[in-house]
Amino acid sequence: MRDGKNGGATVASVRDLKVHFRSKRGIVRAVDGVSFDIGHGETVGLVGETGCGKSVTGRSFLRLLPVPPGILAGGSITFHMHAACTGCEGAGCEACGCTGRQASRNRPVDLLGISPEDMRRIRGDRIAMIFQDPGKALNPTLPIGAQIAEVFLQHRTEEIIALAGLPAGTSGAVRRFASQSPRFGDGWLLALPGVRAQRKRIDEALARMVAGALAETQVPNPAKLMARYPHELSGGMRQRVMIAQALACNPDLLIADEPTTALDVTVEARILGLIRELQRRRRTAVLYISHDLSLVRRISDRVAVMYAGRIVEIGTTAEVFANPRHPYTRGLMAAVPGTDTPRGKLAAIRGTVPELVDPPAACRFSGRCPHETGACRSNDPVLETIAPGHSVACFIDHPAPSGERPTHDRVAA
Amino acid sequence: MTDVPRFRFDAEFMTADTAFRVRMHRLFGVLQGLASNPATVIGLVIIALMLSMAIFAPWILEPNSPDPYQMPRDWGAVRKPPGTPGHLLGTTNEGGDVFYGVVWGSRTSLQLSLMVVGSTMIVGTIIGSIAGLIGGWVDEVLMRIVDVFLSIPELIFALAIAAVLGPSFGNIIFALAAVLWVKYARIMRAQVLQIKQNDFVDAARVIGDSKLNIYLRDILPNAVTPVTVQATLDMGNVVLIGATLSFIGLSEAGIAEWGVLVSEGQAGIASGRWWASTFPGLMIFLWALAFNLVGDGLRDALDPRTEGR
Amino acid sequence: MQLRDYILRRLMVLPVLVIGVSIVVFTLTRVGGSPIGIYLSHEMTPDEVAEIEARYNLDKPVWVQYLYWVRGIAEGDFGWSGVAAAPVSDVFPLKLAATMELALAAGLVALLLGIALGTYAGARRNRMPDHITRVVAVSGASLPQFWFGILLLIVFWAQIGIAPIGRSDAAIYASISHPTGLYTIDAILAGSPAALWDAIWHLVLPSATLGYGATAIIARMMRSALVEELQQDYVDAARAKGLAERMVLKRHARRNALVPTVTVIGLTFGFLLQGTITVEIIFRWPGLGRWMADSVLRGDQATLMTYVLFTSVLFLLVNLIVDLVYANLDRRVTLGK
Repeated sequence: MRDGKNGGATVASVRDLKVHFRSKRGIVRAVDGVSFDIGHGETVGLVGETGCGKSVTGRSFLRLLPVPPGILAGGSITFHMHAACTGCEGAGCEACGCTGRQASRNRPVDLLGISPEDMRRIRGDRIAMIFQDPGKALNPTLPIGAQIAEVFLQHRTEEIIALAGLPAGTSGAVRRFASQSPRFGDGWLLALPGVRAQRKRIDEALARMVAGALAETQVPNPAKLMARYPHELSGGMRQRVMIAQALACNPDLLIADEPTTALDVTVEARILGLIRELQRRRRTAVLYISHDLSLVRRISDRVAVMYAGRIVEIGTTAEVFANPRHPYTRGLMAAVPGTDTPRGKLAAIRGTVPELVDPPAACRFSGRCPHETGACRSNDPVLETIAPGHSVACFIDHPAPSGERPTHDRVAA
Repeated sequence: MTDVPRFRFDAEFMTADTAFRVRMHRLFGVLQGLASNPATVIGLVIIALMLSMAIFAPWILEPNSPDPYQMPRDWGAVRKPPGTPGHLLGTTNEGGDVFYGVVWGSRTSLQLSLMVVGSTMIVGTIIGSIAGLIGGWVDEVLMRIVDVFLSIPELIFALAIAAVLGPSFGNIIFALAAVLWVKYARIMRAQVLQIKQNDFVDAARVIGDSKLNIYLRDILPNAVTPVTVQATLDMGNVVLIGATLSFIGLSEAGIAEWGVLVSEGQAGIASGRWWASTFPGLMIFLWALAFNLVGDGLRDALDPRTEGR
Repeated sequence: MQLRDYILRRLMVLPVLVIGVSIVVFTLTRVGGSPIGIYLSHEMTPDEVAEIEARYNLDKPVWVQYLYWVRGIAEGDFGWSGVAAAPVSDVFPLKLAATMELALAAGLVALLLGIALGTYAGARRNRMPDHITRVVAVSGASLPQFWFGILLLIVFWAQIGIAPIGRSDAAIYASISHPTGLYTIDAILAGSPAALWDAIWHLVLPSATLGYGATAIIARMMRSALVEELQQDYVDAARAKGLAERMVLKRHARRNALVPTVTVIGLTFGFLLQGTITVEIIFRWPGLGRWMADSVLRGDQATLMTYVLFTSVLFLLVNLIVDLVYANLDRRVTLGK
């Protein structure tokens, strides 16, 4: 299953992830046994319809689930934290094999098992996230600069203090200021004449760091942009700010949850290009969540197709698009209108996504599948490798424990 | 983007029978919502108790003659503490039986709230509908009047009206009605304007329905929801303000009304006679609380968006 | 641009509303007939009565009388208060200071407490603190203030005997001067801790009575606004940055939840104004509310008219300011979404 670049190192491996939601009608199995790997610097596209569990899967990496009603019901997400290479600070040099990471200081952690405080340290620093609607994901009452600065305050206190020219041992109110953990009364302490000067230097250092992060996303005049509020910017600009914020600490993994859905098509192309470029330069792995197949094809190294809380097909982008095996994947591809699609002839998959409350032991796609057989209704297919780097959960390519085997040909007939 | 025809489930496609069924289904959902909220159930229970007290007052306590709404005076038993035989909740400085006031006060409050809420609802609904339907300068003038009325804090306004009319319970009813109709006028106008914009009203107009018909069939039923919520909240609110006016001294002294009783009992608290004010005041509180709980529950049940807030 | 139009429109409507209120108030006082009664006595001859009518312009048509009244107000003449036995304009500032001290104390406490309580409950939705806050909020809206005040008096004044009644201790009152009429401020200006303590001690129960309902209004609004904000994407985005839950709440959610909470400040202000009437009666507080109540019962129309007009204009102004502040804040919020 693993097909990471750069020597095959994995950044994260998801194993049998199960996320359930409590609802009035029962337990909704939003994510029900999802497993996949994300290789170093690799882009994995996660596609599926609304409500198939792709966003929930993405959010599980940061444990950003509403609890309750969400329940992490099982599985693990092993995350390999790679300390940045001391030689090139993540830019990629010979010493680290162009990965930008120190392979030797590789500490795997289970993201679902660590303490909230450890999780908090990883969020925004080692794993960052871009949200669907940048207009909603930015706080409307804070200027842009202050919002990006928060990432540095949380994770780069030492750097801020060093950049401000203050001694590394700086403590007390100033340090708390530089780590955004104020205590009651710090406001007065920071107003004291000597402390105030230190605070000002920290503010200036922060401003430089924020401007640097913004400049990475090719926004015009970053210094000026910092004082603006989100509502004063265009959608594309806001998403650039989000990207700057997400990549500020040079994370190992970026979760991009439909980052261009709320944008115009022209802006979308530019934002995609930007993510791609920054990712290549920094060797950040990306989990790109989208419902847009053609977009995922453009950006991903590998594709995972999700349906009703499961991954039904996963493989390299080239392989999956050239040789889609799962009927659902085929359906999705047929539904994408191409230039040769005749007018008024949009293909659609019939039926709707099944209820995820107490699903029966059957293929989730049965009922909508054109190739369905009796076996599909009594057996639940699992992901099986059918070719190097290509796995499918369907009885088409591997026989069901009992009964006949569906074939693609039957459709054609 | 391809244009895919979308179908909507709108009133225009419904037959009378499905419309009725949809409405009943919704009503059932609302009742279910009410029953599942413990606070609402508590409110309903209190209201039920209060109403039975008001209805059965003559059987609980023998009415004072000639006027049962006048406190009976037992000058032989003044300043008796609760538990005194014949005076369950004690007596006031003037020998008024607190229990009698509590029980018969529920009748006074029920009359007050029903009369005020009933009249304001009718007047406000009519004026608001006129403003919304006719529009133009009629709307402008009526809404400016509403604005002026809303500029004066309601208790102060009611106090001023009751003051110039002279102290009497009837005048308090009138004063409250004169102040509170504006809320319904506003709600109703907003509803009419909002619903007027809906497609199905246009559709009805296209097929040549008369304005009155559209109003009675499409607009009025839709406005029932917010008006009901407001009326429920007002049932409690009215008693609260009415009792406040009575407490200040704008009712006839000596009537069986909770606010008057709290005021009468106030004289005794310096000497430790706490009961004469406490029990009638508790009744006002419970009354207002019950209707507020039910009103809130109703609003939540009718508007699924606010669920769980 | 739109905001400026909105402000202009609101400012233009304001005088219309004030004139409307003044007409309503004047009409009210004329409903019960001519106000000549207070000037008459049994010994007067019809000629003397006519002379008084002419002196106070009561022989003119009602609308002319209205104009005379308005002119009087413009010249600072609000009429003669029978209750205070002085011109209304002389007594009004003193009474106003007393009422303001009470209302401000109650309002400030309500604002701080309401926001704190609402935040606390909203962040712990559907848990015990939340349920308790909801009970406080609903009971606050249903609690008859005059009864709550009496209950406090029964417990703290009549039974335990620690709470004072009235506005200050007579001896302490005489010991310092009162340039502002706000006794707490006066005590600070005079540098007298004893007077300050006395002023605060007298304020505690009345402002608690008055503030309870206001706290409930604000807490309730704050709670639901916070619950709403906590479901927004930017809250998750803040968490995704690695902020601790405490900072997510303080710096992000609460900040935004305060915006809709601003809207209830106008409502709260009206609530406080109205509440002073009964609270001042119960606690023998020498303010506008008690004066108004006395005037109502003794037919002092000049005081009544002035009071209603004044509170309405104040209410209008506060609401205008609140709306403008909200429009300004909300523009940022709605455009940002």
